[in-house]
Amino acid sequence: MKLGFYLRLAIDGMRKNSRLYVPYLLTCSGMVTIFYILGGLSHTQVINTMRGGDTIAMVLMLGCIVLAVFSAIFLFYANSFLVRRRNKEFGLYNILGMNKVNISRILVIETTLTALVSLIVGLAVGLLLSKLAELILVRMAGEISGYSFWIDPSSLIATVIVFGMIFALLLLVSLARISLSKPLDLLRSEATGEKPPKANFLFALAGLLILGAAYYMALSIETPLAAIGVFFTAVLMVIIATYLLFVAGSVALCRLLQKNKKYYYRPEHFVSVSSMVFRMKRNGAGLASICVLATMVLVMLSSTSCLYFGGEGHIRGNYPYDIMLRVHYADASECNDRSLSEISAAALKEAEGREKNVVSYSIYLTDGLLTDGVIDVNGVDRKKNAELVLNNVRSVGIISLADYNRIAGTNETLSENEALVWSSDKPYSAKTIAFDGCETVKNVRTVKKLPFKISTRQTIVTLLVVVVPDWEEFTGEITRYIDKLNDDTEHSLIDGTYEQYVCFDLSGTDENSQIEMARRVEQSVASTTSVGFLWRAADSFAENKSEFFGMYGALFFLGIALSIVFIAAAALIIYYKQLSEGYEDQGRFCIMQKVGMTGREIKKTVESQVLTVFFAPLILAGLHLAFAFPFVNKMLNIIASSDPVLLTVTNLSCFLLFSLFYIFVYRQTARAYYNIVSDMDVNRQ
Amino acid sequence: MSILEVTDLRKVYTSRFGTQQVEALHRVTFTVEQGEYVAIMGESGSGKTTLLNLLAVLDRPTSGTVLLDGVDTADLPEKEIAAFRRDQLGFVFQDFNLLDTFTLEDNIYLPLVLANRNYKDMAGKLKPIAQELGIDTLLKKYPYEVSGGQKQRAAVARALITDPKLLLADEPTGALDSRSTDELLGLFSEVNKKGQTILMVTHSVKAASHATRVLFIRDGEVYHQLYRGNDNNEQFYQKIQDTLTVLTTGGEKA
Repeated sequence: MKLGFYLRLAIDGMRKNSRLYVPYLLTCSGMVTIFYILGGLSHTQVINTMRGGDTIAMVLMLGCIVLAVFSAIFLFYANSFLVRRRNKEFGLYNILGMNKVNISRILVIETTLTALVSLIVGLAVGLLLSKLAELILVRMAGEISGYSFWIDPSSLIATVIVFGMIFALLLLVSLARISLSKPLDLLRSEATGEKPPKANFLFALAGLLILGAAYYMALSIETPLAAIGVFFTAVLMVIIATYLLFVAGSVALCRLLQKNKKYYYRPEHFVSVSSMVFRMKRNGAGLASICVLATMVLVMLSSTSCLYFGGEGHIRGNYPYDIMLRVHYADASECNDRSLSEISAAALKEAEGREKNVVSYSIYLTDGLLTDGVIDVNGVDRKKNAELVLNNVRSVGIISLADYNRIAGTNETLSENEALVWSSDKPYSAKTIAFDGCETVKNVRTVKKLPFKISTRQTIVTLLVVVVPDWEEFTGEITRYIDKLNDDTEHSLIDGTYEQYVCFDLSGTDENSQIEMARRVEQSVASTTSVGFLWRAADSFAENKSEFFGMYGALFFLGIALSIVFIAAAALIIYYKQLSEGYEDQGRFCIMQKVGMTGREIKKTVESQVLTVFFAPLILAGLHLAFAFPFVNKMLNIIASSDPVLLTVTNLSCFLLFSLFYIFVYRQTARAYYNIVSDMDVNRQ
Repeated sequence: MSILEVTDLRKVYTSRFGTQQVEALHRVTFTVEQGEYVAIMGESGSGKTTLLNLLAVLDRPTSGTVLLDGVDTADLPEKEIAAFRRDQLGFVFQDFNLLDTFTLEDNIYLPLVLANRNYKDMAGKLKPIAQELGIDTLLKKYPYEVSGGQKQRAAVARALITDPKLLLADEPTGALDSRSTDELLGLFSEVNKKGQTILMVTHSVKAASHATRVLFIRDGEVYHQLYRGNDNNEQFYQKIQDTLTVLTTGGEKA
């Protein structure tokens, strides 16, 4: 009977506060749902048997961990808001004769109910949606999945344990808070006159400086991989600065405005500025959280979608032909052996493949630092100014004029001291080309277009293709120099390799048989002893594509899933913010009307404040996104040749989509706000 | 010259669906002369607050007229009401109605700022008023930092800073302790002596005894009125007390 009594009190309490609890329960359930789905997907059969399935599973598991940590932090925030709102009720119970043990019992029951509802609803929805999520994920990864329904018990158990622990933690915190409080404080906690916030100019200034420094750091990063630690420091600094700016900076700004009497004592500024001070004090942290969440969502979505949508182009850049056979030889004369094309053609014929656009050439590959027409193969490793290195480093591929003419079907002639030079990105400006440590200097004729497509594997580095008539002698000189360098030094191994490429497209073959054919070609090369090679590989476009989409499809999927959670969290913060402001503004509305403001004037000032408060985080998030752009671009460039235009497009469209959603949430929650405020109309007392 | 003329004022409240009607004011007629200090007394539910809301143009009468300095408040277009209220009327409320986001100084400036006055004028006006009301040292404080009496004095300053034709006070002593009550009533008398017309709604006999005239309202009508004449506060207090006794012990309406 006693339990029944507390149960009734708890349920009543939640029902009376349904305005607060329903969104809270929805958010909790949503988190449970997504957690279960991510965990479940990482175990499903179809994903584990997919190519790149291991990577996908790992990405999803990482997502789960991120989600769990985020849920804990976020639910902690939401819960403290709920408890604060209900302090008055608990204070009343206390004064009516309930002791803290009784109140704690109500809290225990409430939290248990919340946990049960969230888990049951969340898991039920999770079970229903898991198949859909799987279809989407598999589709994004470029595969086809079956239609069998699945339940993943291990993820189910993990979800219950993780969220059970989170709720237990929340309960402990609430209990501690209740046991430390005095009844009268509880009763009064909402009504006490609020201390006017003091402007902390130091913190505000620190916020500005930190933000500036972080932006500068993000912009000045030249070598993303080496500076990834720097970037994460910058991210951390941006988060800290965002909080400082919203909490202290906004108050300081209002205080400065108030000091300017000519500005402050105007009807259009007077009320807004002074209430803004209080509004920002209460909501600063919430707004900063929204801003950080929004930035996370935007960066995550825009970069993963850029990778995903730019994927095909990137793969085509790396694998311009359906099948690309590369064989690595020890020296120039072996590399010139023409039998490789025949071996691959024979293997293909056996596999009933029909090739087209066949291209084969021998190429000498190395890297070097280009200065004034001289390529220093030993220059890259030296500790030089990073920017200088990045701007001047070149991949160099040297091919013979014979190969060039054969592929192009031309009859180009070059004298001994001439070379054709083609550059993949930055134009080649010097008149001559030479290698450091070699005597040969060649006059350069630049070429606009190559007669064949070449793999731009290291996309961040500009690729030079040099065509020379005396291929064996020219490359031989470089090889000897490199060998000498490698003998002299212990650490740096400078690469100079002879490779032969046989590339072709296939017609009328699906992707799976392309992969199979690539395997057959590779095997037949491996088993043919007529050419002595060091290393060989036959890459198919199809296989690389499916691997790429397996990986980045999963990342994109995770990006979307986490974005949903973050957005839901942001929406809940916004909603709570509107509610709490509504309650506080009720009384103020009334007074202002009595001292001579029209209802319309009041509505206008309130609206302008609400709008400012509301859109400030969005604007700052946009700024963060803009400053992260160069780094994200460089980072994506390493992962996959990112197209800055595509990244701009995904950035802008993500920002636009997010803004639309944000405005939608604003309009919905603004309604709740106006409902509360208009509850207390002076004319209808 | 009468500054306020109330004629046959009637106010009927209709419940939301029009099923129930409550007549808060039946037929109220009275005038207030320039420089008068009038107290309106009545029990809870007698229609005092309704009357005040009608005078303040916070609400519209069902019938009858309110003339303030010759202007019929019913003729005021919706847009001008707020300006009218802040230029012509000063308000003092039981619960002070100070905005907690403003310092006392800014609270007092509020009506002037809304009227678009420049800061120099406002500061010039505030100084003598703040001194007179004894709050000149508290101006930079926030409402939550000062006592009830001090809050109410700030509210009086806010009401007076616009030089209103009429000062409306709604139970101004209702939330004050006896010392603050005395101080406030003393202030009102002083202000009145300097020519400020005051209309105060109260059910405190003590507060009413400071007025020059007391109107008694019952069941939505002016039931009786008393002039101070040459009485001092104590004598007038006794008269009011006696009248109330008659009223409450069932003196049927004569």
